[in-house]
Amino acid sequence: MLNFEFNGRRMSAFEGDTIASALYASGVRIFSRSFKYHRPRGLLCVSGRCPNCLMSVDGVPNVKACTERVRAGMKVKSQNCWPSLEHDIFSVIDKIGRFLPVGFYYKTFINPPIEWSRVEWIIRRLTGLGDIEEEIASATGKGPKDGRSIHSSSFEHLNLQADVAVIGGGPSGIFAALEAGNAGARVVLVDDQPALGGHLRYSGETLSIDVATGEGAYSGLKSSAVASTLEKAVRDRPNMTVLDNSTAFGIYESNLIGIVRGNSVIRLRAEQLVFATGAHEFPSVFQNNDLPEVFLGRGIQRLVNLYGVIPGKRAVVVSNNDSGLGVARTLMDAGVKLEAYIDSRKAVGAPETLAEIEDAKVQTFLGWAVKEARGSKHVSSVVICEVDNEGELVHGTERVVSCDLVSLSTGFETEAWLLNQTGSRTIYDELLREFIPRELKPTVYVCGDLTGIHDLNIAIMQGKVAGLSAAVNLPAMERSSELKVEYQRKSLETYSRLVSQYEGKYREGMKRTRGPDVLVVEYPGSDKMRKRFVCVCEDVVAKDISLATFEGFDDIETLKRYSTVTMGPCQGKMCSMPSLHLCSRVTGRSIAQTGRTVSRPPYVPVAMGALAGAELHPVKLTGIHYKHIELGARIMDMGEWKRPHVYTSVEEEYKAVRESVGVIDVSTLGRLDVKGRDAGKLLDFVYTHIFSTLKVGKSRYGVICDDAGIVLDDGTVTRLSETHYFITTTTGNVEFVEEWLVWWATALRLDAYITNVTAGLGAVNVAGPKARDLLQKLTTVDLSSGAFPYMSSAEGEVAGVPCILLRIGFVGETGWEIHFPAEFGEYFWDTLLEAGKEFGVKPFGVETQRVLRLEKKHVIVGQDTDALSNPFEADMAWTVKFEKEDFVGKAALVAAEKKEPERMLVGFVMKDSMVAHDGDQVFSQDGSRHVGFVTSSKFSPKVGRCVGMALVTPEHYKEGSLIRVKSDDALNGAEVTLAPFYDPEGKRLRA
Amino acid sequence: MRALFRKEKMWQRHKLKPRYDVVVIGAGVHGLSIAYYLAKNHNITNVAVLDKVYLGGGNSGRNTAIIRANYMTVEGVHFYSESLKLYEELSKELNFNLLFSQIGHLSLAHTDSAVNGLWRRAEVNKALGVNSRVIWPDEIKRLVPALDTSDRPRYPVKAALYHAPGGVIRHDAVVWGYARGVERHGGEVHPRTEVITIDVKDHQVTGVRTDKGEVIRADCVVNATSGWCTTVSKMVGVDLPVVTHPLQACVTEPLKPFLDKVVVSANLHVYVYQTDRGELVMGSEIDPYSSYSQGSTLETLESIVAHALELFPGLRHVRVLRQWGGLCDMTPDYSPILGEVDGLKGFVLDVGWGTYGFKAGPVSGKRIAELIATKRTPDVIRPFRLSRFREDRLVSEKGAAAVSH
Repeated sequence: MLNFEFNGRRMSAFEGDTIASALYASGVRIFSRSFKYHRPRGLLCVSGRCPNCLMSVDGVPNVKACTERVRAGMKVKSQNCWPSLEHDIFSVIDKIGRFLPVGFYYKTFINPPIEWSRVEWIIRRLTGLGDIEEEIASATGKGPKDGRSIHSSSFEHLNLQADVAVIGGGPSGIFAALEAGNAGARVVLVDDQPALGGHLRYSGETLSIDVATGEGAYSGLKSSAVASTLEKAVRDRPNMTVLDNSTAFGIYESNLIGIVRGNSVIRLRAEQLVFATGAHEFPSVFQNNDLPEVFLGRGIQRLVNLYGVIPGKRAVVVSNNDSGLGVARTLMDAGVKLEAYIDSRKAVGAPETLAEIEDAKVQTFLGWAVKEARGSKHVSSVVICEVDNEGELVHGTERVVSCDLVSLSTGFETEAWLLNQTGSRTIYDELLREFIPRELKPTVYVCGDLTGIHDLNIAIMQGKVAGLSAAVNLPAMERSSELKVEYQRKSLETYSRLVSQYEGKYREGMKRTRGPDVLVVEYPGSDKMRKRFVCVCEDVVAKDISLATFEGFDDIETLKRYSTVTMGPCQGKMCSMPSLHLCSRVTGRSIAQTGRTVSRPPYVPVAMGALAGAELHPVKLTGIHYKHIELGARIMDMGEWKRPHVYTSVEEEYKAVRESVGVIDVSTLGRLDVKGRDAGKLLDFVYTHIFSTLKVGKSRYGVICDDAGIVLDDGTVTRLSETHYFITTTTGNVEFVEEWLVWWATALRLDAYITNVTAGLGAVNVAGPKARDLLQKLTTVDLSSGAFPYMSSAEGEVAGVPCILLRIGFVGETGWEIHFPAEFGEYFWDTLLEAGKEFGVKPFGVETQRVLRLEKKHVIVGQDTDALSNPFEADMAWTVKFEKEDFVGKAALVAAEKKEPERMLVGFVMKDSMVAHDGDQVFSQDGSRHVGFVTSSKFSPKVGRCVGMALVTPEHYKEGSLIRVKSDDALNGAEVTLAPFYDPEGKRLRA
Repeated sequence: MRALFRKEKMWQRHKLKPRYDVVVIGAGVHGLSIAYYLAKNHNITNVAVLDKVYLGGGNSGRNTAIIRANYMTVEGVHFYSESLKLYEELSKELNFNLLFSQIGHLSLAHTDSAVNGLWRRAEVNKALGVNSRVIWPDEIKRLVPALDTSDRPRYPVKAALYHAPGGVIRHDAVVWGYARGVERHGGEVHPRTEVITIDVKDHQVTGVRTDKGEVIRADCVVNATSGWCTTVSKMVGVDLPVVTHPLQACVTEPLKPFLDKVVVSANLHVYVYQTDRGELVMGSEIDPYSSYSQGSTLETLESIVAHALELFPGLRHVRVLRQWGGLCDMTPDYSPILGEVDGLKGFVLDVGWGTYGFKAGPVSGKRIAELIATKRTPDVIRPFRLSRFREDRLVSEKGAAAVSH
């Protein structure tokens, strides 16, 4: 025995019990309160399809109690009721229900004094089902548990592949899987139950199977025993994977199947798909059809035969098909007294079972239907009526049958939800009264109850046909021996012949026993007093559907959205067919003409955690990262990278770079190797500048634009040899630039090969007046100005490490950007700092670099440019070389050059001590016109005031132009500067 | 209260007439609002709105119904704030409760550059009179207690742009309200009526033909479609600089209220809010490939949900109920295309709505109606003419519209 808690009460359960079976066995009858009217609701489907048993389990809301196994110590709570399930104060809403017609909210609270904004908060509090406060409190660190302990449950993703995926492990699915496996296919069988066998597990019948199917040996055996035997046969096969407790929730493009299994999402990709998804029952529409202890027939069979729970004492079985007879037998076998068997048909397909029922002195009513159920919190009786041939109730024939249990076998809906997601269609079959598959897409096969036919012999043979067809049509199978192919073709013919024979007979039988359609029974005043529920999730009643249809929502898609029918947690499993019947009745169109709404994934609600999978957030660290930590740097995020923001203070670091020497880790820069005969040609085409004429050993600044001439990225290009270029890109853009170059190299058929070498290379920038002195201690490469001028490069050893040295100057001082194998990072860094001690070397961080580069007015693409900036606006006209034949963005730039730009990037100096913020707006001197915005701004130690860059209207593109920057709601004066604020001639850079 | 129990049809099923003054293609919020304002403001009532599927079956029924005006460009702010003001009065105007909840809209920033972007938007907004400001983690935490504002996430929340008048509306209700308004003013709505060709004679539109073979004459035809705006324009030989991408969203089971703000993170490509019914609505940026598929993908669902959990780690056991996709017509500058086409009389565009069309339904309907009635292009939509692409006068909303729905 297992113990668990329900609403604070101690409960016990048997091993294998679900929460629902254990509670029902303990006498619990009300399992939830309904969404809108707070009506008591009991178990209905017992298969996880209806919303009636949603509960909160260990803080997780909306768990289906009927499929969730009991675990020792679990805490189960009911939802959406107060103070208790038995006595819910909000059930008063049920009494005023007639003031809440469909579309209520759209028609009310429009004008003062009761406007929507005043009442909305009240309504919000009344809606919703599960409560996740506990989860949130825990996750955000306020809960009773520490930190994220509630998330100890781990979520993960798995990937699987199969030749044939069979969805549904009932009899037809099992035979499909076996047949496909026998033919040599790798099969994955997916089933949402803990054991295979489908309805064989709980129907409790003794099987009668035709010898011609080849499975006659199972005849005369109990269905549950056969289910176990078949399961063993499947599991014993070597080329078969069985995923039990697994629900396929979506079929996506290229046969990708999303499957949820506990906390995991499995992505299964299969060549061929066999759908054996079966059919589910749904309740017919009559007054009070939602009362607790009104069950679907198969729900009762599950309770009795899977969990050994006796659901009531005095039962009424309501049916319109032969499965009702099976339920009657299940109940009688379980010792429940049958008060009446009611069937809307005049004849049944299994007269021998009917005879047994009659022999047991049970009253049978053929040609009758239910008009209403009575009772307050539990069903206490049903009112039944004779029906005429049109399906209308005959007045004056009412009879009351008292009972404490009602079983509804009032129709099946094929589980075509997943099938439809493949693009295969379903059409309404007037004889079978179900939507059956038609126009199957290639690689899609169907079998079993999904075809609208409920017959075991047919299911077995359909399964074999589907499984064998799927295997035979595998691309790999075409290579197998001719003899085998011939044999398979013959088998397939035989099987198919048998299926059509059986099916013909089945349809004959259906015609013989066909009764009137009593899915929704109407009679004068049927909606007056008591509600007839169509949708138990959203509490939509028959009257709502008729009214909405009348109002103009007569298209099934708009009807759904207006009435919310089919939009609740069950996603239409209980209400799709009844609402369709009602809509078709009001509009006078047939069911087929009315059609069905589009089915969207997921088929069952799937936990966000499972969909998200394990929390994996990549972090990129440079080879020198832990040295920065040792030095006490404050670390910041730069995209996926971690970088030192500042080590000591911006002032100190700034001083070192400007007066002696500083080092910064720039390993996050994107680095690309471009090699090949046409490497220069490729770069000429992609960059606006020319690189094919660049001399070996030289570097050049380059800008990449898109077709519209918008700046996408910038960086340096260095020519290492005739056929080898080394490119740096901005930190976040390297993947893009790599793709872009590969794209154009391919499109232009160039002999150029791009390798992303970012991860393999570390880099530091050594800059400052003493940079040369420091580096010359460590290398034999001649660093003198004459031998190694600005914008040139060399390959050589520094501190014994092979390096590429680039003489460039982002921060505006003499400096070298040195790239080296990343594994030497820590050694290289330490060696530099050690060698630089005598010069007072300091490491500097990103924040200091921002100040240094801004003083030089060096642009950062994406900060000082935006999605409209071309090189002219960015004041970089010198990077565009129109003399080239063609390059990306040329046409747009030619046009842009001819016209007056709309804005220009300028520098500015604030007049007083105010420090502007990036993004502040810029106004004209008199404050009357909005002329642009600040892209970057910082306090400049050199200038002694805040300096910055701004994109402004072109009239301000002149030295000394006066503007105002709106900061902290005040307009502050500033003056435009076109030259860099620091070393405008670039003397220090070249020194 | 009496209106509640009156049984009345909101619209009728009509037979198509042989001639209309204006034919609008697309019965979404744009097409319907154009017809509504034509009738109401300009007394042009001989109007038919045609749609190949059901009312609001395109993006009007697929978008996530977020309304806001905190855009990046001056043109955008003017345009969307006019729309927001119209939305605020629309329930009364249409006598139909559109369930507009101005719960407030937060755009989160997780990087320094994103903070700067928000600052710029806030300053533009303030300069143009739109209620919008940058707030910091303390205040964010107070407004959205369920949000993880600690430094535990990979990309902690650094700041947010708080736009108090932003919010959500019942999108279908807007469609139905306008459709009812159109019919009450004498216009006609024709769902399940597909336009196959548009007739042109001497550079003047003369009418349309439908899939059922009807020929309808009209001197003015409005293309108010999404997803297929390029194919409809192709019928008259007009090429649009539009690429169509899918955009996906999903919704969870209903929960008791815990979130009463729209929370958007451009860095994480996700937005989340809770509806009045208690469901969480989540969406993402456009899919990276172009397609006409309105289906949905597992990959995008996984990514939306994973990012939402980075913001709200307490939602891991909340279940997704439904996912869907819509089609976004992306222009190069993330702004729409509105107005007439040079060299072709009687063809009016209301297209290229990317991910921001629903927000603009009322203003573009009102202004396009004004354009049709007065033959003059109103100033507020002038920047969005098709000719801007030839003149290189783009209106870039990439920064504010790319992910921030």
